[in-house]
Formats: sequence, C-alpha cells, structure tokens
Amino acid sequence: MNILQLVWVNSFRKKTRFSLTCLSVMIAFFLFSILAGINHALTSNVSSNNQYRLLTSHKISLARSLPLNYQQKISALAGVESVSYVSWFGGFFKDETNQLAVLAVDHNNYFEMFDEYNMPAGQLEQWKKTRTGLVIGQAIANKYGWKVGDRVPLSSSIWMNRDGVFTWQFTVAAIYQSEGGASDEKQMFFQHAYFDKGRAYARNMVSWLTPKVDEQADVDEVSQRIDKLFANSNGATRTTTEQVFIKERVQQFVDMAMVIKLVVIAVFFTLLLIVCNTMVQSNRERLNESAMMKALGFSSRFLIAQVYLESFFLLALGALLGCLSAQLCLVYVSHLFTDFLPGIAIDNVHYFDVIVLVFIAATLCSLLPALTLKRLTISNTLGAKA
Amino acid sequence: MQTDNQNKIAIELKQINKSYQKGSNNVVVHDNFNLSIAEGEFVALMGPSGLGKSTLLHLIGGLDLPTSGSVIIGAQRIDTLSEGKLSTWRAENIGFVFQSHHLLPVLTAQGNVELPLLLTPLDNKQRKQHASLALRLVGMEERAKHLPKELSGGQEQRVAIARAIVSDPKIILCDEPTGNLDRKTADEILSLLTTLNKDYGKTIVMVTHDLRASEYASRVINLEQYIDAGKQSQLSAVEG
Repeated sequence: MNILQLVWVNSFRKKTRFSLTCLSVMIAFFLFSILAGINHALTSNVSSNNQYRLLTSHKISLARSLPLNYQQKISALAGVESVSYVSWFGGFFKDETNQLAVLAVDHNNYFEMFDEYNMPAGQLEQWKKTRTGLVIGQAIANKYGWKVGDRVPLSSSIWMNRDGVFTWQFTVAAIYQSEGGASDEKQMFFQHAYFDKGRAYARNMVSWLTPKVDEQADVDEVSQRIDKLFANSNGATRTTTEQVFIKERVQQFVDMAMVIKLVVIAVFFTLLLIVCNTMVQSNRERLNESAMMKALGFSSRFLIAQVYLESFFLLALGALLGCLSAQLCLVYVSHLFTDFLPGIAIDNVHYFDVIVLVFIAATLCSLLPALTLKRLTISNTLGAKA
Repeated sequence: MQTDNQNKIAIELKQINKSYQKGSNNVVVHDNFNLSIAEGEFVALMGPSGLGKSTLLHLIGGLDLPTSGSVIIGAQRIDTLSEGKLSTWRAENIGFVFQSHHLLPVLTAQGNVELPLLLTPLDNKQRKQHASLALRLVGMEERAKHLPKELSGGQEQRVAIARAIVSDPKIILCDEPTGNLDRKTADEILSLLTTLNKDYGKTIVMVTHDLRASEYASRVINLEQYIDAGKQSQLSAVEG
C-alpha cells in the first residue's frame, strides 16, 4: 500500500464514470493531435526554405506568365546574385488521376540555386546535356519503378506541343533525394529550353522567376526594387520571399487550421468542465473518508496531492490514448493525402505541449476539491453532535 | 469520579469552554469543563444526547479545538498546535474507532489497517507485518483480503479497531463503537477493547449510550451528573 496504489484504487472506484470521462479526454487529445499533424504538414516546408530566395510572379495571378527576358533585367539589379525561372507543366502519367508536379526549369542554374535536391554530380551533368532529360525524385522513381535511362511519356493538361499533342517524351537522366524526405521527393524537372522550343504557344514566357539575393543585401529592398522595375508594364510583378510565397499558398489551410484550433479550444474548455465536475463529485462522495483520513493523521496536503494525482492519472491516460489513436489515424491519413498534403505527422514538440496541457488541466481540475479538503473540518463531517 | 492520583495523567482538560454559532445563536456546549483521565484507564462517557460527549472526544483527539481552555495529552498541550503538527501528533498518539467505521470501501481489510502506517517511516514489508499483527490481535487475520462490503458489521468494527491500534497509540478514542451492532457482537467488541486496555495498557475513552457497554469500563462518567457536580463545587467554592 502506498499513495500511488491509493490513487489507483480510488480512480477505479466508479468504473463507468472513469471510463466515460477518460473517453472524453481521449477524444479531445485525439482532435488536438490530428490538428497538430495537419499543422505540421502545412508549416514544415515553409520553415525549411532558404530565406534569400525570392519568387517573382505576375502581380495579378500566378496563372499569368512573365517574359523570359525578365531574368536578365532582374539579374542586373544591385543585390541580386542570380536568377532562375520555372514554368508549370501540369503533368500526369498515362491517366489524369496520376497527377505529377512537373516543372520546366532553367537547366543552367536551377539546381545550383536549389541545392536541397541531392543527386550524383554525374547525373546532373548528364541531365544538363540531355535536352529531353528528366530529373525525378526518389519517391517517384520508387513508385513507378523508373530508373536512369528509361523513356517516360508525360502528358500535360495545359501545354500542347508543336506536333499538336499533349504528350511529351522524356528520358530519366537523374534521380534526386531530398533532405526533407519522401514528401519532397515527388517533383520532376526538365529543361525549360526543351519546353520552350516544343510548346505550340506562349514561347519565351515563364510562370515565375526565382531571384537569389546576396546575403549582405536587404531582401525587402531588393524585392521592392524588382517590382518597381516592372511597375508600369503589362507584366507587373509581385516579389516575395519563397517562405512568404509558400505561406500564402497554404494560407487557406492555415485558416482552416485556425478554425479547427478554435474548435479544439472549445472542446478542451468543455472537457475541463467535465473533468472538474467528475473530480468535484468524486471528492464530495468521499468527504467522510477524507475526514476519517484526516482523523488518522493525514494532512490536507496529502489528501490534496491524492486528488491531484487522480486528476493527473485520468487526464494522462486519456491524453496517452488520444495521442496513440491520433498517431495511428495519421499514418493512414498521411498515406491517403500523400500527394495533396505531404508531411502529415506529429512532431516531438506536440508531445511536450500535451504534457504541459495535462499538468495544467490536472491543476485546474484539482483546485475546487483541494479547497474543499483544505476547509474540511473533521468534527463537522464525522458529526460531533452528542 | 476522582482520578487515581497515584497514576500518571494521560488526558487533562482544563477550564474548557466550547461554543459554536448556529444561525444567530451562540450555542454553549461546554462551560468551564474540567476532566482528568489517568494512563491505563478505560473511561465510559455517558449521558443524554446533546450534552457534548462526542465534542469532548473530538477535543481530546485534536479533531476540534476548544473556544478557550487547554487540552493536555501526556505532557503535550495540543490545542495550540498548528494543523500540520496536530495531524502528526494524532497519527502518533491517538487511535479512533467510530460508530460508522469509515473504512475505505476500495481497500481490503489489510489495506485499511495499513493506511495509518503510510505516515510512518516503515517500509512496505514492515507495514504489511504490522497490519497483519493488528488484524491477528482482533481476530481478523483470515479476512485480511476481504473488502469491507464482504464483512459483517462486527467484523468491520474489528477492522476499524485494528486500524486504530496498528500504529500503537497510547490512547484509543471510541465514539459509540457498538452503536450499530447486535448485543452479542457488541459484547465481543467491548471484550476486545477491554483486552487492549488490560493486556496492552491502552487508555480508552469511549462515548456510549449503552449501559451494558459501560460495565466494561473501569470508570463511568455520566456527563450530566458530572457537569452538575462541577457546577456545585464551583458554587461552593465561591460561597466559601
């Protein structure tokens, strides 16, 4: 017999009440953990991006193209180290359900600027020499069983080539791995030169440019300078850092996350009331026993510690079950959303948050019972009337 | 009703006043009350309801504090102790047996008896040994693994007595210990208390309405007569 055994047997005194309250806690932490997993997917890519890389797109919409010669004009600005460019191919393999992130890029400097894509130097050189060369991520190579040298036909839902068809021929020239893991290994790149010469329309246009700023230069200042350069043209630009660009793209999801967050706060508040009520009720049912324990010599502090540990046990067990079930659920969800929203996972910071929340909730839920126990007078409770 | 002066005083209440507020009325329970109990006595406190027998027991056990006056147990004045010190003192010196045994329903007989030992420096093994010994003493060792709901009223009270004596206190305070029991079981419990008093030297103070119960005590204090006698002697002293 020790205080922990006492907490254990007292917790299971009313098994149904304990189970139902624990289930409420579990559901709250399940929701919280699912949200954390989605948040992780929405924010992890943003924080890992290079803060000196900018993205210049058309001021009105990303769907509008910019002239290719902007590369030279931007390169000439002070504080700009180099400029690369990208066009969105909008590709799929065989069937439109197999959507792929295919980008036409400046083969001269794109991978020098985006050095997070790791591939053997020989393969990169080979790709630069191969007009129809394709750089694919390891995850794509694994998924389709493609290897260097394979000929791959990719179709575009946007771009018709000069032959009047939407299917373009490529040869796998390199396979990259990313520091970001499998979620970042799902892109494909090919030479913009091949794209530009091959497409039936909109030649010498790009979807967006990616200027890289000198580390000594002021990023905001350079951005403003770029936009000012094209301010009065048809192709007015909007330049942001790559981080801001990605944040804006996921803004709709972040807002959704905010809504879910508010819902979770409401759930937690309700949960707090439920657990508080359970603890108050449980304490009230045991007032005679508590008074008896006081009579035996147990201090108020001991009894309060006991109530705290009971709250903590209830919340910790619910939180543990909630996190575990969320973890299992997210494995399934991340598999389902692997292309749409990669990177769904719970990181260690979330578990720290859960532990802190459990401690805070246990403290709040023990406050009222603690006050009752502190004020409990033995003679009144055990009844000294005679 | 005089204490044997040759014995050492175990319990001494001096000029106790105890009153409480009931609505707008101030109810006086004890007014200038004095009592001495020697070590090893078995005292039965009797009298009609509402005279403050249980209040007296609670004052002796440090469960309640007097409005004024002093409560001295052994050499220790307890009415001036802080709540924390009073708890520690109670754990070391007093064993309680109540009419409603107040056993924890979730613990076995063994667990209930072990409970007060959580406050001692004994380790788990020693606690188990002490509890087993106390249960053996009250004839309940074979029921050690039983929950209170699996025991009869008399057995529950025996377990409560085992819990009261497990930490070897000098004083045992009993508030109507046989109030809920049939005659035969009540006699068994009272015999047990007598054994604890005679064979183990425990000072016992028992509040009871049961005349038969008072036969087991070495001294019976009828509180009504006791208070009257006290007032009479005070009056004589003033007139003299």
